[in-house]
Amino acid sequence: MDQRLRKHVEGLFEGTAPTKKAVELKEEMIQNLEDKYKDLIAEGKSPEAAANIAIAGIGDVSALIEEMEKGATMPNEAGRHKSAMLTAVAVAMYIVSFLPWIILDSLRIRNSGTLGFVITLLFVAGATGLLIYNSMTKPKYYKEDDTMVEEFREWQSDTHDQRQMRRAISSALWTVIVALFFILSFSTRMWHVTWIIFIIGGAIEAFINIFFLSRKK
Amino acid sequence: MSIASDLIRGHTDTIILARLMGGDNYGYEINKSIQQKTGGKYELKEATLYTAFRRLEQAGCISSYWGDEQTGARRRYYTITDLGRETYSGLVEEWQAAREMIEELMRTEET
Repeated sequence: MDQRLRKHVEGLFEGTAPTKKAVELKEEMIQNLEDKYKDLIAEGKSPEAAANIAIAGIGDVSALIEEMEKGATMPNEAGRHKSAMLTAVAVAMYIVSFLPWIILDSLRIRNSGTLGFVITLLFVAGATGLLIYNSMTKPKYYKEDDTMVEEFREWQSDTHDQRQMRRAISSALWTVIVALFFILSFSTRMWHVTWIIFIIGGAIEAFINIFFLSRKK
Repeated sequence: MSIASDLIRGHTDTIILARLMGGDNYGYEINKSIQQKTGGKYELKEATLYTAFRRLEQAGCISSYWGDEQTGARRRYYTITDLGRETYSGLVEEWQAAREMIEELMRTEET
C-alpha cells in the first residue's frame, strides 16, 4: 500500500548523497506521508486518491534536499585536508628514504652501509606508520539508534574504512618490497635470485585480502 | 483566501511554535491540527513545514528526537526549547501590535 509513497519520496532524493541529514529527512517525510495516507483511507478515500492527495501535499522540496547535501559536506573539508597532508608526507618519506643510504654508501666509510640501511628502514617505518595512522583516525560513523537506516550507514562507513585500510596497507607493502628488492640486490649482487621477492609480495597481499574478507564474513 | 494564505505562510514559525507549546509533536500531527483549526481551508505544504523545522532547529528554538514506537516506522518528534518559548511570545506580541496597526489603517474615517 505505502510502496508508492516510499517510491515517490525516494525518487525525490535520487542523486542526493545519503548524508545523515538527508536520510533522516527522507524517513521523516515517508513516515508523515504514511500517516496522512492512513487518515485519508479512514475518511473513505480510495487507495489511489489517498496516495495522490498525499503526494500533492508535499510541495517543492528540491531546495530543502539540496541544503541537506550542502550542510553535510562542509565539516569533512578539514579532515580531508589533513588526510591528504599525511599521505603526501608519507610518500615524500618513502622517496627520500634511499638518500641517506646512497650518500653514506658513496662516502665509503667503514660500516656506513649498515648505518645507511638502518636509517632507510627508519624512514620507511615512519612513513608506513603515518599511512596506517591516517586510515585509522578517519572519523567513523557510530550508530545512534537501532533503525535499519542507522545500521546500513554504519555498515557503509565500516566497509569504506576497511577499504581505506586495505589500500594503505597495500601501498605500504609494495613500497617496502621494492625497497627490500634494491637493498638485497645491491648488497648480495644476486639479481638473478632477488626478483622472487615480488612473487612473495603478491602472496602476502593475497593473504591480507583473505584476512579482511574473513573478518567481514 | 489569498490574503489569509499569505498571512499564514508569513507566520509559519509562530504557528509551529504555538502547536509545540502544547507538547511535543511530529510533522503530520502538527499539519493536521492546522488543517482542523482552519476548518479544512488551509494546510501547509510539507516542504514549507520541513523547511521551518530545520530553520527553527538551527536557531535553537526547537529540538528533535526519534520516537520509540513499537510497531511500524518511527516518528520524528519536535520539542520546544526555552529559547523557543521566548521567541514565541515575542512573535505573538509583534503580531498583535501589527494587527492593531493594520486594523487602524484599514478603518474608514467617520466624521
